[in-house]
Amino acid sequence: MATNEGPNERIDPADDLRRGETWGLRWRTGFDRWMGLLLPLLFAVAILPIADLVYFISAKAVPTLSWHVVTSYSDYQAHDTLGVPLMTTFLFMALATSIAVVLGLFGGIAAAEFLPERAAGWVRMSANLLAGMPSVIVGYFGYFAFVLYFGWGLSFIAGVFTLAFFMTPYVYRTADLAFSSIPRPIREAAYGSGAKPVQYILRVGAPIAFPQILTGVFLAMAIGVGETAPIILTTQPGLLVPSTVFQPAVFMTYLIWTGFSQPAGSVALTLAYQAAFFIIVVVLALNIVVRVVAGRFRKRLQGLYQ
Amino acid sequence: MSPNPVRDVSADREPLPAPSSPTTAGPKRLRFRQPVWWLFAYIPAVVPAAIVIAIAATLLEASHLHNFGAAFFGLTFNSSTNQFGMLVFIVGSLLTAIPALLLSMGIGLGIAIASTTYLPRYLARILDPFVDLLAGIPSVVYGIWAFVVVAPIFGLVLNPWAVEHLSFVPGFAGNSLSPTTAGYGLPISIFVLTLMALPITTLLIRDALQSIPKDLWESGLALGATRWEVVRRVSLRQGSRGIWSAAFLGFGRAMGETVAVAMVIGSTAKLPTNVYDVTYTMASFMFETLDAAYGNSLYLSALAELALVLLAITFAVNLVGRRLVAHIYAEQVAGL
Repeated sequence: MATNEGPNERIDPADDLRRGETWGLRWRTGFDRWMGLLLPLLFAVAILPIADLVYFISAKAVPTLSWHVVTSYSDYQAHDTLGVPLMTTFLFMALATSIAVVLGLFGGIAAAEFLPERAAGWVRMSANLLAGMPSVIVGYFGYFAFVLYFGWGLSFIAGVFTLAFFMTPYVYRTADLAFSSIPRPIREAAYGSGAKPVQYILRVGAPIAFPQILTGVFLAMAIGVGETAPIILTTQPGLLVPSTVFQPAVFMTYLIWTGFSQPAGSVALTLAYQAAFFIIVVVLALNIVVRVVAGRFRKRLQGLYQ
Repeated sequence: MSPNPVRDVSADREPLPAPSSPTTAGPKRLRFRQPVWWLFAYIPAVVPAAIVIAIAATLLEASHLHNFGAAFFGLTFNSSTNQFGMLVFIVGSLLTAIPALLLSMGIGLGIAIASTTYLPRYLARILDPFVDLLAGIPSVVYGIWAFVVVAPIFGLVLNPWAVEHLSFVPGFAGNSLSPTTAGYGLPISIFVLTLMALPITTLLIRDALQSIPKDLWESGLALGATRWEVVRRVSLRQGSRGIWSAAFLGFGRAMGETVAVAMVIGSTAKLPTNVYDVTYTMASFMFETLDAAYGNSLYLSALAELALVLLAITFAVNLVGRRLVAHIYAEQVAGL
């Protein structure tokens, strides 16, 4: 306290050091330096597992792959071929993504442009809740709603709709976000010069929001292609590509789920590694595309603001 | 008098709204003259809310709450005598999710502080995407990797070491009944869940630390504090909302994780007797036993009730977590 100090007391910063405060100072700076060295090492906790995982799956799967394995559409369990699962997964993803894009895109744009602010807040919150919902619950919903009540049975179409509902919130949120973040002057300029809502959305909003919406769709696909519970609970695995929507169909992740505990060298385990390899490749590719597109989008938006 | 060839557009328009004060100017909402447009605009917009309500209603309808109350929160699970006590699975979920959350919060804090404070920016920009990439790896791929690669490490190295050296801690003394050598059980489940919750916690904490004003940081340094002291006393306090939201959302993720845990938890419906034991979590149990329940209406209703409980937990946790970071409705968070 300043009042307790006598008038003759010297005020010298070096007093601290003379009184033996060097220890405290050294400890403080030393601790800071040690933290600077040790904390970055924690990155290893994240990077080592992902590196080992990708290496392990690739090392197991790549030597067993051949052109024949990927293109043969015979019974996949008997011949250790991936043609049927790849094709069926593609059909699953194509249909589910289409449904999710239709629902999510229309919904997101409508929420950003038309819905009253309060209602939009509620719907956004429910989209967040849906995105945070455990996949097994969506699977249960698909089982009780589509398989049992709608009477579709454990079929391709039940899996498609369950997967689509799982993917919808991701598309919805990016579409909503993309249209909400279009700078106000642009909206006002469009409406001020007499554009109708549809004209604004198609001619002004869509070109600006397109890259971001695309990242949302890719993200939803990356999440959907690796999902297991929603599909397995609602679809029976079939040995062939389904010819009608009510037939059983096999999804890639099912191969991993059935094969992971099989003995080494068995067909099921080989199929599991191959399926895991293809899923990782697709997911990583989609993630990289999302990053690149998102980076370019950010630059573009910065250009818009200036 | 001939009609004017130029259409009078003013009749098509709504009258201009009264000018609002500039302080309350929000995004302007469109209005429609013809009610049919409402269908195109409002019905698609409420799709997520409709799906959420449909999911809750379907599960409620499927369960009819036939098995709720004391029977539901019982410890005895025996499908042949129609006793569906689900407490085992709730306890199993908590026993895996809470340690995994604590671990991933600690590691996430460390990574976020390192990336925002200590690392040079170019290095942080290279390393950060790897953590985000953890979120992209599908759960089932984590599962097969953990089952084949990590489980032997736990079973042959880590668990025996802990039995030998940590047996004075309650719960760490192994017994012959628990399958410590296979490696399945609580420790590896916690490991997998930690990895899977890590990207969420790290991302949200990093976001919280990055959004702190530069002035605070600089004034802290100017007062003579070290970087660590500024982080501890300024950044972590300023960013506490984001850090709490990371905890809530990470917990929701850990509770809901299904397939990866189902592959390594050991899948045995009993309370664990020591820390290496096998057990079950709510999500993995629901996932694995739906087939077995087919045809037994009480069993199905018990499972639907368990789904409702899990739904309620994740809803509550997500609601709180999202509310805390309501201002960051950003594309990064949209990815999780």
